[in-house]
Amino acid sequence: MSKYVVTGNNVSINGDDVSGSVARAELVINAAEVETTDFGSNGFTEVIGGLKSGQVSIDFHHDFGAGGVSTLFQDLVGTQATVVLIPGNGTAASETTPAYTATCLVTSFTPVSGAVGDLSTFSVTFPTSGEITYATA
Amino acid sequence: MSFDIATIRSGIASNLATIPGLRNESYLPDNPNPPVAIVGLESIEYNTAMQQGLTTLNFVVTVVVGRAAEREQQRKLDGYLQPFGAQSVKLAIESNRSLDGAIQDLRVERSGGMGSITINDQTYLAADFTVTVYA
Repeated sequence: MSKYVVTGNNVSINGDDVSGSVARAELVINAAEVETTDFGSNGFTEVIGGLKSGQVSIDFHHDFGAGGVSTLFQDLVGTQATVVLIPGNGTAASETTPAYTATCLVTSFTPVSGAVGDLSTFSVTFPTSGEITYATA
Repeated sequence: MSFDIATIRSGIASNLATIPGLRNESYLPDNPNPPVAIVGLESIEYNTAMQQGLTTLNFVVTVVVGRAAEREQQRKLDGYLQPFGAQSVKLAIESNRSLDGAIQDLRVERSGGMGSITINDQTYLAADFTVTVYA
């Protein structure tokens, strides 16, 4: 594998490939900092890793056609959805294009957006729920 | 979405055919016969979405009306530059925004106004229209 320019990372939601309507996708995995500083820390703070959490952030192009991504989101707000992200411009999980799978809480959807003359888009940011898995096959 | 540039050219030209008296050409002709609208492709922006889901094509439609100095030709071009009315180039191009499903959407963004162009040593009065196509 080598460095790459993003042209075709894969994004699917509940099994539907929505990559063709995605302009940007991001998955962040965090670990909480739990401080363990004590009298033996020699004036420096000490931390250990706490609970992990994640966040999925995606920019979409609106599409209300049959099977379009905007139509897909109509009934998802307030529910959990399975989001699979494959970086490396891949379409399937492999050693060089690993698939990250997260269960996300769909907390918002913006069905109407855009100024006159703009391509209609919407952005979402979802917290993950439970473990974020990683597969290479 | 897959698309065909030649189909987009001919689709824009077909939309322009709704303007009475205005000829249309999908490609730059050797000898234009004014008044004529000529469809040209200026630039393509690839990878607007993942997996080739969206490509943005910038077309320029040049409407050539005749000799630059003639007042009547300038009046004729006024009609083509209007955003409404039977002679409106913008309205005609946007009359079928999906080009019968060949693209996702299009919009006539702007016109550069009137100017003179030279084709085969002949100077004509013309106006450019910038058309953004999402395919």
